[in-house]
Amino acid sequence: MSMPSNFWDKFLINKRNKYSLLIFIVLFVLSLFAEIISNDKPIVLMMDDKIYFPIVISYTDKEFGGYFDTEADYKDEFITSRLKEESNWAIFPINPHSYDSINISQSTPNPASPSSHNYLGTDDRGRDVLARLIYGFRLSVLFAFALTAIGIIIGIFFGAIQGYFAGRVDLFMQRFIEIWSSMPELYILIIFSSLFEPSIFLLIVLLSLFGWMSLSDYVRAEFLKGRNMEYVIAARTLGLSNTKIILKHILPNSMVSVITFLPFRISGAILILTSLDFLGLGVPPDTPSLGELLAQGKENIEAWWLSLSTFLVLVGTLLMLIFIGEGIRESLDSRSS
Amino acid sequence: MKILEIKNLTIVNKNTNQILLDNISFILDKGSTLGIVGESGSGKTLTGLSILGLLDKSVFEITQGSIIYDGINILDLSEDEIQKIRTKSISIVFQEPMLSLNPVQKISTQLSEVIKLHIDDNPLSQNSIAQDILVKTGLDNTQKILDSYPHMLSGGQRQRIMIAIALVCNPDILIADEPTTALDVTLQLQILELLNGIKQEKNMSMVLISHDLDLIKNYADKVIILKNGMILEEGLTSKVFSQPINSYTKDLIASSPQKLVSENCESSRLLNIESVSCKFPINNAFFSKNRKYFTALENVSLYINSGETIGLVGESGSGKTTLGLSIMQLLNYSGSIYLDNLELSSLPSKQLRESRCDYQIVFQDPYSSLSPRMTIFEILSEGIISFNSNISKRELLRICSELIKEVGLERSMLYRYPHQFSGGQRQRIAIARALSMKPKLIIFDEPTSALDVIVQKNILKLIVDLQKKHSLSYCFISHDLKVISSISHRIYVIKDSRIIETNNTDELISNPQNDYTKKLIESSFIV
Repeated sequence: MSMPSNFWDKFLINKRNKYSLLIFIVLFVLSLFAEIISNDKPIVLMMDDKIYFPIVISYTDKEFGGYFDTEADYKDEFITSRLKEESNWAIFPINPHSYDSINISQSTPNPASPSSHNYLGTDDRGRDVLARLIYGFRLSVLFAFALTAIGIIIGIFFGAIQGYFAGRVDLFMQRFIEIWSSMPELYILIIFSSLFEPSIFLLIVLLSLFGWMSLSDYVRAEFLKGRNMEYVIAARTLGLSNTKIILKHILPNSMVSVITFLPFRISGAILILTSLDFLGLGVPPDTPSLGELLAQGKENIEAWWLSLSTFLVLVGTLLMLIFIGEGIRESLDSRSS
Repeated sequence: MKILEIKNLTIVNKNTNQILLDNISFILDKGSTLGIVGESGSGKTLTGLSILGLLDKSVFEITQGSIIYDGINILDLSEDEIQKIRTKSISIVFQEPMLSLNPVQKISTQLSEVIKLHIDDNPLSQNSIAQDILVKTGLDNTQKILDSYPHMLSGGQRQRIMIAIALVCNPDILIADEPTTALDVTLQLQILELLNGIKQEKNMSMVLISHDLDLIKNYADKVIILKNGMILEEGLTSKVFSQPINSYTKDLIASSPQKLVSENCESSRLLNIESVSCKFPINNAFFSKNRKYFTALENVSLYINSGETIGLVGESGSGKTTLGLSIMQLLNYSGSIYLDNLELSSLPSKQLRESRCDYQIVFQDPYSSLSPRMTIFEILSEGIISFNSNISKRELLRICSELIKEVGLERSMLYRYPHQFSGGQRQRIAIARALSMKPKLIIFDEPTSALDVIVQKNILKLIVDLQKKHSLSYCFISHDLKVISSISHRIYVIKDSRIIETNNTDELISNPQNDYTKKLIESSFIV
């Protein structure tokens, strides 16, 4: 049997790769529409022959005949009773909770175990766990994408310069990297999180400052190899500028290592965010995050729905990313059969 | 008297079902040498390996045939039984002496391993046997060599040690698979003379596998011509070479480089190199005063007239490629290089880049000289765009089509990737790329060394035709004096970073002055 030569054919021929990628993409795309899937506002609402779209437009309580100028609370008794009136209706999302909505009408103490109101129970502040998982998953993946993208851009930039120009440039930058990478990352994070208001943006900046180095090493090695290839020398003799040689000749041929590392970097970034949140050094307290849920699970060890569901989401995500990564690595390896 | 007989041997690649050897039969007589000739991929190495049962069983399957040595069919033997035959009765010498010795073991360990296994397990007599066989292979200072690691020895010494390991058990048959291809020409002759001498002394039989016809012609009694796994022709060497029957054999014999250029009359000076020296730091000291240097070129001066080809011949490490790269302004050197009376090294970088269209280079390895992720059209148009960024796509396509036709390829090939081409075709593309800049001078750095002989001849013809058409000047770098002499008007012989002799081609061949040149001519079987 002959092996498919095309990268995608090779990748998809392995069922594990195929389904991991498929499930991951479906979950991620779904989570991008989290507001429609899990929200405490109705998707469409019909009241007094007028159609409202509360998810898109924010309406005040007054518009529904209430007393407040603030945004309407669709779980409030006033609105729910009005919705019961004839010809008024509302379509709520599948999971009628947002990540920060607190279920006040809860009869059991928080954290409450799974019920028909909260499919996966609530956390210690009465917020819906499923909603927090969906939003938390989205945040983790988006954060990981951003961190990986920034890390790759910086890593390729410095790695390319080091590898292509080699010699003294390489020597000095290599020493700089050695000094830079010996800075205690965790302590810097702790110090900064006490100095500044913690935010996703601050986290991305701080982690990006250190995350590019592991990748730039590989890019550097690829460029050191690539700069002496005959087709690169030939490009120089054709009078091409350094930028052009780097972008057109060496970079496309060194992308294999970058692409191979991509899924592993993404899963690594998710893990970093989760562990920082777990330690309370990550995102601000209100933000839905997997690490914060895990920390709650630790605090409330008897509330198994907290730790178990978060654990499953986290392991599932990381496992799929690692399978995808291994699949990419195998498919790019021309020697594998 | 026959010692080895191969009958109807057929080998198939299990994964692709490709027939690699198709019904091969031949007989090896005692004390004689059988030459197996063929281009790369013809199955000659496979034949050698199958005799020793060294084929990877997960890839290759022997579907029929037998290999009979000493009345036994080797193919029926178990691994243990074949192990007893290997080295003791049938030995093999591989092409690459760098790869066939274990880099972390001393020579003595590697040599006594074989002696212990097949002859004697007393360490003292092992040492003396080892010394004896090293002396026999023409090495002096044997104790020192036994105590060395492979990297401390030269290529020639390593190949002699490989031969020593192969011959220490006095085998009946020696399989020499391209034993000298990786060595410099002057060493080739010594190694072959050594093998031939031992063969005659011990009345040993030899299977000599090579792509080099001259070598086979001089050392084999009988010859087999292999192509695509089939024997096209076989017979006594003298007969096959004087009266070839098969058309492929005729092509092969005719592919030996003929004189392709006539004497040159034009005399305007194009390139002038004045006392160029080049050195590389060998240690990585940070401060320049601590650095030690290796001198790759010392005080080299030469010139090229327009429309002329000069040949630069020398062994590996002699500095010929360094000189090529210096002319291309890809290395730092001291001295001056004038092209059309323009001093190249003093040009600021922008002007230097503009000057590059006047001189181009074609490299040895057609596999690494084309970027694997660019189409042929992109490769050919790149240089043109870098000098004329406003050129229209249509004009670009026209120029590239012309270029690719000029080197004998089809226009439709423009949108393919390099891996879809053979070595010879790739080298044509590399030449087309050099031509795309409309240069005055092209440097060819061993352009045909990686190619089969018939392809080599066609490429050389192409190179000469292009020269006549565009009145180009060439600097042709090679280790192969035959190729150089067929294509050059004048020859420079370079050895140990210096030019030791120069003359017109005919005069240099017929009347060499320097001892090294004489040796080079003798080893190249030119006469």
